[in-house]
Amino acid sequence: MEHVIEIQNLTKHYGKSRGVEDVSFSVREGEVMGFLGPNGAGKSTTIRSMLGFLRYEKGNIEILGKDAKKQQEQILREVGYMPSEAMFYSGMTVKEVIRLAADMRKLDCRRESDALCERLQVDVNKKISELSLGNRKKVSIVCAMQHKPKLFIFDEPTSGLDPLMQTTFFALIDEYVKAGATCLLSTHVLSEVKNYCDRVAIMKEGHLLCVDTVEHLTKSNAKRIKMIRDGEHLDYLYKGDLNKIKDELIGHDISDILIEDPSIDEVFMHYYEGK
Amino acid sequence: MVALFLHEMKQNRRNLLIWSLAVGGLGFACILLYSGMQDSMAEMAEGFSSMGAFADAFGMSTLSLATLTGYFATEIGTIHGLGGGMFAAIVATVMLSKEEDGHTGEFLYSLPISRRKVITVKALSLTVVILAFQVLCGILYVLGFVMLGEELPWQEFMTFMGMQLVMNLEIAAICFAVSAVSKKNKLGLGLGLALFLYLYDLMARVIPSLEDYIDIGPYSYANAPQIFAGNELSGAAIGIGAAVLVIAVVLSFAGYLRRDLAS
Repeated sequence: MEHVIEIQNLTKHYGKSRGVEDVSFSVREGEVMGFLGPNGAGKSTTIRSMLGFLRYEKGNIEILGKDAKKQQEQILREVGYMPSEAMFYSGMTVKEVIRLAADMRKLDCRRESDALCERLQVDVNKKISELSLGNRKKVSIVCAMQHKPKLFIFDEPTSGLDPLMQTTFFALIDEYVKAGATCLLSTHVLSEVKNYCDRVAIMKEGHLLCVDTVEHLTKSNAKRIKMIRDGEHLDYLYKGDLNKIKDELIGHDISDILIEDPSIDEVFMHYYEGK
Repeated sequence: MVALFLHEMKQNRRNLLIWSLAVGGLGFACILLYSGMQDSMAEMAEGFSSMGAFADAFGMSTLSLATLTGYFATEIGTIHGLGGGMFAAIVATVMLSKEEDGHTGEFLYSLPISRRKVITVKALSLTVVILAFQVLCGILYVLGFVMLGEELPWQEFMTFMGMQLVMNLEIAAICFAVSAVSKKNKLGLGLGLALFLYLYDLMARVIPSLEDYIDIGPYSYANAPQIFAGNELSGAAIGIGAAVLVIAVVLSFAGYLRRDLAS
């Protein structure tokens, strides 16, 4: 199986409101795919359609070679999903929630969950109602990972996590991916995409703008130029013919110059605002 | 499915105990109080029996408050019917919607269990919780009779508890259908429905023009005074109740399986 996720022409409306329109992309086995877009772009609608939470009117979704509409239960068996909200039953303890998630899968995940709880510093005896957002997120990570799924789907996983836990989280993803898992990471944090994703899909207003490797997206013709010209500090994005860049310099007193690729933030802002 | 069923039972455990002890305990206490009030009951019974429609509505014209059976049917039967209906409405109204209202839906539905199984398990656990409520209350009432050394009319008692179970299930089924299409808990609506159905039955027994329509309400076939007086139960009322129950369950499944889950 080459593609773990295969979405073709997904269209979903909420009554008359737009959800997503004609979205198609695929995620290859063993890759970490970033899923980017501003609020309301349609990322969560796409993910929720994939998992069978939403009924979509058009399109096909295949997860791990299975039809998302007809084989939802089999798909969920092999998926570890972490929602953005990370809400659990308030009257339960962390241990009970983790156990419930394993029991529903009819699996004994105690070894894996103990190891995950130790690495993420999760106090399993605490009540869910006593947990902060960050700690609930950690419980959510354990629930998503303890059964060692073939596919991870994370929806804004690091919001609320401290930097140390964010590092631990990405180290865990790296380990699972190296062991053969695939990951779809929906996020607002561009540095996460740059540092951890192989490819990225960018959504805006319900449409898919592009799917490409992070490297290729940042290697555009545009260059960030920083220089001191005639004593003046300049910092701007040059989008013209690179052969004509000398026109910017000839006849001027250049005391310092740096020409570099634009940052990933700039590339994505270009997509968010431009297209 | 077993894990979800056990989880649901745990979630409803506290509610079940509180309501069973409140309703059943109140009935139990009322039974024990009867021995102290026995002397004044004869006078009260005479007074109530001459109150016309009011006495009819509460069954005091067919049963005497001067006997423990009559007292149980008119007083405790009312408490139990009203309490049971409210309990069934409360549990059923939030059974499905609590997942979306409490934002636990995404956790639950990300686990490998289909929506059809979720609603089936929840309907099953709702039935078991309501059955447990009836059993716990029933045990307390029997205990009350035993402690007073009074003989319990077992056949009427079992018929009463059985009809109360069916009545509770009918109310629960309607509220379950509401829960299946709601994104927020609609406790007020559920409780209001249970109270309205109780009042409807009361009014239908008092207002002559409503008498022909009494069978529509679920309280009509679960009326304690009628059962303990040995009157035959209305087949039409039970039939309507069973039909409402089936239709409500079918609508619950249809509505729940077709709708999007709120985030």
